[in-house]
Amino acid sequence: MQVRRDHVAGGAMLIAGALVLAASTDLPFGTLASPGAGMLPTVVVVFLMAFASVLLLGAGASPPLGAIAWTDAAHALRVVGATAAAVALYVPLGFIASIALLLFVLTFLVERKSLLSSLAFSAGATLLAYLVFASALNAPLPRGLWH
Amino acid sequence: METTFDSLLLGFSVALRPDVLFYAFLGCLVGTLVGVLPGIGPLAGISILLPVTFGLDATKAIVMLAGIYYGSQYGGSTTSILMRIPGEASSVMTCIDGYAMAQRGRAGAALTIAAVGSFVAGTMGVMLLTAVAPPIAKFALGFGPPEYTALLVLGLVFLAYMSSTGLPRTLLMAAVGLLLGCIGIDVMTGHFRYSFDIKELGDGIGIVPVAVGLFGLGEILATPSKTVTGKVAPPRLAELLPNREEWRQSALPIARGSVLGFLVGIVPGSAHIIASFLSYAVEKRLAKRPEEFGKGAVAGVAGPESANNSASTGAFVPMLALGLPTGPVTAVLMAALLIHGVPPGPMLVSEHPQVFWGFVASMYVGNLMLLALNLPLVGVFVTVLRIPYSYLYPLIIMFSIIGVYEVNHSIVDVWIMLIMGVVGYLLRKFDFDPAPLVLGLVIAPIFEMSLRQSLIMSNGNWLIFLERPIAQALLAVSLVLLGLSALSLLMKRRDWRTKLAQAEAGEGADGV
Repeated sequence: MQVRRDHVAGGAMLIAGALVLAASTDLPFGTLASPGAGMLPTVVVVFLMAFASVLLLGAGASPPLGAIAWTDAAHALRVVGATAAAVALYVPLGFIASIALLLFVLTFLVERKSLLSSLAFSAGATLLAYLVFASALNAPLPRGLWH
Repeated sequence: METTFDSLLLGFSVALRPDVLFYAFLGCLVGTLVGVLPGIGPLAGISILLPVTFGLDATKAIVMLAGIYYGSQYGGSTTSILMRIPGEASSVMTCIDGYAMAQRGRAGAALTIAAVGSFVAGTMGVMLLTAVAPPIAKFALGFGPPEYTALLVLGLVFLAYMSSTGLPRTLLMAAVGLLLGCIGIDVMTGHFRYSFDIKELGDGIGIVPVAVGLFGLGEILATPSKTVTGKVAPPRLAELLPNREEWRQSALPIARGSVLGFLVGIVPGSAHIIASFLSYAVEKRLAKRPEEFGKGAVAGVAGPESANNSASTGAFVPMLALGLPTGPVTAVLMAALLIHGVPPGPMLVSEHPQVFWGFVASMYVGNLMLLALNLPLVGVFVTVLRIPYSYLYPLIIMFSIIGVYEVNHSIVDVWIMLIMGVVGYLLRKFDFDPAPLVLGLVIAPIFEMSLRQSLIMSNGNWLIFLERPIAQALLAVSLVLLGLSALSLLMKRRDWRTKLAQAEAGEGADGV
């Protein structure tokens, strides 16, 4: 049997639904007349699993899994990696250091721009954003190392 | 009528204040840029700039953010006509005949028709909003929790019915959104739900990190920089004027698109996208020479462009009058009003008339500003497209991080945005529309609260929803729509939603 797009999508949703259902066991369901904290999530997850089953049943008509183009995945992965690192460093290092680093990595390493233009862009854009948000708009950006 | 006129005068006294005018202009300018630039839509634009409004009062904040929304509908047509790239999803239909007109050397005329159509439709939409919203709000004052519960059910069903990605996919996304909306402390019992000892999740998941992640970051991840080209030649100012025949051909489509768009805008779903598609279909059906569609038909630009603008105004009716979002953009705008201590809904007109009427009046002014901005400055906006995407998207990520962090000063929110970005990327790959997810997230707490309040009112009797006439009628409409959706699913009929999905996927407009 050829694996199709909706086999994966429906299957993933079913597994996610089962996991949420398992995590809902400690929530009080209440009664129909007086719903508890667990009633709405449980009802919704049952519906979610039902819709996922419908998707799975009709998966034969969806395109083959191989038809999904993943040519952009490597680029997306690099962007996610760089952003995750910047988010992790955002509070400890502060806005200026973490964002300048993020912009530099994205332009120099991911987009292969020249060292000079990457440095100028990352420093200039970070400082400009800092001036606009922290100075002009009084938005408290994390100061990190400069705290 | 006299009261409405007096109230509108009050609105203009607010909207014409220099500081409010400035923020309306800023919103329109940013909105046009958001519409022009591929990879960033009005939702991401509004969400990112939401924290900028924290220092403003509610009127200026909503005037600016709404300006971004309807401004983006104007800007989206520029790239559609000149480059065949829809800067905004609702401009997909404009690509077909707008680009064909540009290929025939009529780019300037197409841009002017799109801008004038947007202006007429936007203004007509605001006039209808002025007339319709206050009476609806007055009527909704009689709504209790059962009516709100039924209305929310109808909203979700409408969303599923209008969706172009199919009933199970839409309902799946709405269910995921509802589940995300359940995260946090249950306000009725105090139980922590799915917060996994992360105290920041106690207040639930915010709409801003989810919206910015799904629609901002998700779009960036799905758009590799080498695929975005900035080569385009804007028309000269002298070439902007359509000829008499083109004006004549655009008049009726603009009028029809304005009315159709407003009506579609009121119902839940991606209204501005659906409105432009429906308008294109209507114009093709009514055309004396339908074979011209796809080859540069003026009506194929005038109708959809008017419809998407009018729809974006129509979407404000349920938001302002009922306090219900019809799509992710109005959901974020609602969140913005709530952050500023102004709850949208039936009480808005009576309790915050300056905000309501100031906002309505600012849209009249905003549409004029957009007309003045879009035509003479088309060259400037096209120049923005020459900024290499490899420099543009890192800036969008930077603004996303700042915007999301500043809402609650919570790094957990930024992580949620990143996770949602990856989720948004995967959802695109598997052909899911993330809009119902955002709507589900917003609706979940309101729905749960009104459902439980209804049951308290009725001592646990579920028949309360069938005993009250308005709730009964709303549920009956929901049932009919569900039946129609299920029927088309079973018969595998190729209806207008399938055609919309094909058009959105760029499979041309055959059969539209």
